[in-house]
Amino acid sequence: MRTLLILPAAIVLLATASAEAAPRRALLDDFATQAKAADPGFTGFSASRGETLFRTRFTGGKPETPACTACHTASPLKTGETRAGKPIEPMAASVTPDRYTDPKKVAKWFRRNCKSVLGRECTALEKGDFLTFMISQ
Amino acid sequence: MPTPHPPPAPSLPVWDLPTRLYHWLQAVLVASVLAIGFLAPEWWMGIHVWLGYGVAGLIVFRLVWGVFGSEYSRFTSFIFSPRQTWDHVRGLIRGRPPHSIGHNPLGAVMVFAMIATIAGIVATGLIALGGEENQGPLAGFVGFSVGDGAKEVHSILAIALLVMIGLHIFGVFAESWLGRESLIRTMISGRKRLPPGAALLNPRPARRRAATVATACAGTAIILIGALAGTVPASGLIAMPRQAAFQEECGECHEVYHPSLLPRASWLAMMAGLENHFGEDASLSPDTDQAIADYLAKYASESWDTEAANRLRVVDGAAPAQITATPFWKRKHGEIEKSVFETKPLRGRGNCAACHQDAGSGRFDDQMIAIPEPERPSL
Ligand code: HEC
Ligand code: HEC
Ligand code: HEC
Repeated sequence: MRTLLILPAAIVLLATASAEAAPRRALLDDFATQAKAADPGFTGFSASRGETLFRTRFTGGKPETPACTACHTASPLKTGETRAGKPIEPMAASVTPDRYTDPKKVAKWFRRNCKSVLGRECTALEKGDFLTFMISQ
Repeated sequence: MPTPHPPPAPSLPVWDLPTRLYHWLQAVLVASVLAIGFLAPEWWMGIHVWLGYGVAGLIVFRLVWGVFGSEYSRFTSFIFSPRQTWDHVRGLIRGRPPHSIGHNPLGAVMVFAMIATIAGIVATGLIALGGEENQGPLAGFVGFSVGDGAKEVHSILAIALLVMIGLHIFGVFAESWLGRESLIRTMISGRKRLPPGAALLNPRPARRRAATVATACAGTAIILIGALAGTVPASGLIAMPRQAAFQEECGECHEVYHPSLLPRASWLAMMAGLENHFGEDASLSPDTDQAIADYLAKYASESWDTEAANRLRVVDGAAPAQITATPFWKRKHGEIEKSVFETKPLRGRGNCAACHQDAGSGRFDDQMIAIPEPERPSL
């Protein structure tokens, strides 16, 4: 029920966000197609599932990086830090407007960070959820 | 009632003003340059070098003045035969050194030895500066290994000079005491007491104009040659084009490390294992990975002759891709407080540019080091 509400809300938000909206929608559409292919029962992305992914501590990845929050901090609105000490712009689309607009960049970092944290690639569903959460922030 | 002064002993002007000025200026300069060289942290190198140029200039002047100065400043006035020197030593041993108006034979030996040693220190310093640091007039002409060797000699000569200075000061006090005349005051006033019965020589006057011309010519020639030599690009550095992929991809999580900081094998191993890069996945698309690997292999430390490239080429066998694990890096940074690395603005040993303002060029000049003040944690 909640997902059904959030998805249209996100789409409305996207549609109003001018220049950044199109590439983000393309990305989400892409993830949605893949998610549907993997699971025909797919009904839409969920920001709350995305938040859970963001906050969960995993054990399958590298010990240095147990969670997304290890680098991105517990708040999507805050500036994070790499393990080498370099600042990372906040993940929330509202704070860092050019986030999730370059599909190559998004693909690269999902591949890397999911492998580091979960020890495997993220599924299209996880990626879509994560993006939905960050765009809603 | 003021006590009547005894009639002043007849005295003779011995050290002319330029010689006295030279002596005290050189004493101050040499003392400072030695103190900085032995005691100061590396980033005082610039001052050390400039003082060294000052010492060199004074030596050039002294050589000219040794030819054109007044009698007792001329080298020819204090070249003694071994026999005269031996007589002087024997007199000293008996506690009654023969009186000399200018330099005594032992003092003369010390003067020549010190001038030669200082000249040697200046020369080896210039070679070390050019070879090791890729700076100064010889940067384009000497390689690292020659510079490194010169630095060894530079240090040994500096220690020898310290010993000579000690002996010189001891000799001055000893002779002052034995001869009942302060040689220090002599070097200030320039006048020396004439011993009873000493024949007044006919001292040669200074040839000031010749000396001025010679100093000006020598100085101009040296500065011109030095400036001209300085235009030759440093031999240790090569031209390296920027590669956009390298700058972007390898600067995402930390500063972009200069390719000269690791040997080829280390870079290639790193690029082949980016999925497990210091506890993280830093993988790239295969073609980008290949392009960056080629670039790094081409400009790895083997292609450079800088101090950093030469020193960091020796890697730690267990962590061949970690610059901060190399023996040289550990030795050079061992004395820096751990807290400096852990607190902001540093946050990590790998943040070379936080302390080395020229890290991006791979030079790592001594003068460009400045350790930032650690920020206090905000409450
Ligand atoms: C080891 C540190 C680290 C961890 C852990 C980490 N990230 Fe990142 N992430 C980064 C860095 C660095 C960037 C790129 C810097 C930037 O974009 O400002 C980035 C970028 C991203 C991007 C691309 C953002 C964009 O603008 O396109 C996504 C998506 C992302 N991370 C997702 C995740 C997810 C999901 C997790 C947890 C599974 C995670 N990250 C964990 C360091 C990390
Ligand atoms: C995903 C993040 C990430 C990316 C991208 C990345 N690195 Fe690193 N790198 C790290 C981390 C984390 C460390 C370890 C830092 C530490 O321990 O302080 C490291 C360390 C290093 C070190 C060793 C530094 C030292 O302390 O001696 C070198 C060299 C290095 N990286 C080179 C590269 C090169 C070359 C690239 C580009 C191909 C690259 N890195 C890309 C995360 C990254
Ligand atoms: C906390 C500040 C700091 C950081 C960070 C730092 N250095 Fe240094 N580095 C110094 C200091 C201070 C010296 C001089 C040490 C001494 O007294 O000999 C030095 C010396 C050196 C030298 C020798 C220079 C010379 O001419 O003697 C090299 C090469 C060097 N560092 C490389 C690096 C590299 C590469 C990194 C990054 C991986 C790095 N440093 C990070 C402070 C730092």
